Amino acid sequence: MIDLTQILQSLVNGVGVGLIYGLVGIGFCVIYNASGIVNFAQGVFVMLGGMVCHTLLTRLGVPLVVAAILSVPVVAGIGMIIEICVVRPMWNRGAALFAIILATIATQIMIERITILTLGDQPRTFGEFTAGGPLKIANIAISYQLFWILGCGALMVLLLFLFFTKTKAGRALRACSQNREAAALLGIPVHHMLLLSFALSAGLGAVAGILVTPTQYTAFNVGTPFGVNGFIAAIIGGFGSAGGALAGGVLLGVAQAAAIVVFGAGFKNVAALSMLLVVLLMFPQGIFSAFKSGGKGH
Amino acid sequence: MTSPNITSTDSMRHVVIPVAAVLAVLGIALSSSGYVVTLIGFAAIYGVFCTGLNFFMGYTGQASFGQNAFAALGGYGSAILTANYYWDPVLALLVSMVLSGVIAAAVGYPTLRLRGHYLAMATFALGLITYEISIEWNSLTQGYMGLSGIPPLGIGKYELVSEKHQLVVLTLVMLVGVWVSVRLRDSRFGRALRAIAGSEAAANALGINVARYKLAAFVVAAVYASVAGSLFAHFVGFISPEVFGASMVILSFTMLYLGGVGTTWGPIIGALIVSLLPEVLRGLKEMQDVVYSVVLIAILIFAPRGLSGLSVLFPRKQTGQTKQAEKNA
Repeated sequence: MIDLTQILQSLVNGVGVGLIYGLVGIGFCVIYNASGIVNFAQGVFVMLGGMVCHTLLTRLGVPLVVAAILSVPVVAGIGMIIEICVVRPMWNRGAALFAIILATIATQIMIERITILTLGDQPRTFGEFTAGGPLKIANIAISYQLFWILGCGALMVLLLFLFFTKTKAGRALRACSQNREAAALLGIPVHHMLLLSFALSAGLGAVAGILVTPTQYTAFNVGTPFGVNGFIAAIIGGFGSAGGALAGGVLLGVAQAAAIVVFGAGFKNVAALSMLLVVLLMFPQGIFSAFKSGGKGH
Repeated sequence: MTSPNITSTDSMRHVVIPVAAVLAVLGIALSSSGYVVTLIGFAAIYGVFCTGLNFFMGYTGQASFGQNAFAALGGYGSAILTANYYWDPVLALLVSMVLSGVIAAAVGYPTLRLRGHYLAMATFALGLITYEISIEWNSLTQGYMGLSGIPPLGIGKYELVSEKHQLVVLTLVMLVGVWVSVRLRDSRFGRALRAIAGSEAAANALGINVARYKLAAFVVAAVYASVAGSLFAHFVGFISPEVFGASMVILSFTMLYLGGVGTTWGPIIGALIVSLLPEVLRGLKEMQDVVYSVVLIAILIFAPRGLSGLSVLFPRKQTGQTKQAEKNA
């Protein structure tokens, strides 16, 4: 018999990991909105975030805060390199959609292999941001890291919102997502926007990776599950909407946690993938589309 | 897309020369040492796999990043039936083929309604979930340990113990596979598929049931993948989840794009070249996957039509029209 505590506990865990999926999902949306490209190497940024942060911590011995803050620009830089070396040449040559997707999958495999060769294939982790805990509320343990995830997640969404509404670059990005040709005619450098979107999206992935590593572990191969789950989160939220992706991520995280309680840990990914298929087939515009009256047409 | 002209010089170029080349490679392999035999054997197996993939991607214009799922199905099906239940390898191969086809039809029916990146992710997920199952379902697949003790190909009492004998059979299977794919491509069915690749809306308007034809092409590709998986299991005698992992996707796409998507012999040429790469790049043992990825990305960027796109470099009689057609393509 499953008791209430167990259910609530798994819900709490589900919300935590779901927010991470949401952040990855937003990463997908940022690039997709700017270019119409779906970057299948998105999960690799999560992996790199954790790995780079861990490497800075252990090899250079810098404090966790410094390592975390330094890792984000490093990963964002890698994102920009991917854009310059892989995506942009294909984009300029007008490559087919599937070819670009394939190239990003190849990029993911390449980065994973390079990570094995340089940093090794052992899983690793680092401590939570604040020692102590977990916080106990009536037998439900809430680790302090969850609050960090919640707080940083909220902060990220707020910053993104401000970026997209208040800054010139953010508004230019939104213009690109509505109509690239018109944006180009208005003098917006569309190519720079693509580069910017990759940096932004890689940075977001890195933040997600750094936040989640203390709660589990990171290794060269954690990218794919995070990428796939992030994609599912983005689809649940209706591809392209950042808020929707975040909500979709939480929903997915909770559903996964519930599946673990009910069916066992082996069914974690089965639950996620079934959710993907159900949403794709029944709500291709995302499950929140029903609540919007008009909705912006893509 | 250029439509094939059936003339005697064309049949010379498209049938006689490639088959002769395949037989020549086979001859070279048979007269050399064991390692080369193994590599050419892999090339033949991947040739089968890529021919199936080419059917779905090249002719039908769809994309599946999860064909490794069906190779795993074929491989594990053959391995379990022959090693644990002592079935005849040929029977096990056929049963795995049917099983893969049925599963492909069941999975493809909802999945192929998707388009673009949704289709890509759904098929990619298919490969991932199969990989996961092959690890988790310990009692059947022995997880990471993999299955060993798989007998070589054979019928009844006749087993192809020597690798060279197996290689001859693998090559024949590959040639039959190519022949079947060509026959299918030039049939009513194949023409419908190429119409879909051209424009789904136009194909629909011509009375082609797009969804059903796509599904049929997907099943054909899955059956090819399954055969490749079965052949691999018998050829090597050991399989593990890693064999059918995500790097198989990259490997097969490298072959397909190197040789040229949508051409008859491109997948075979690609499979041969990529299979021989480890021999050429011996020093790069650990870097292999990195090299494959880099090569694939470079091809995708600089020569999306593969080696067949470079055929203009080879001197051969061309009419002005075909040159123009190639320029336009």
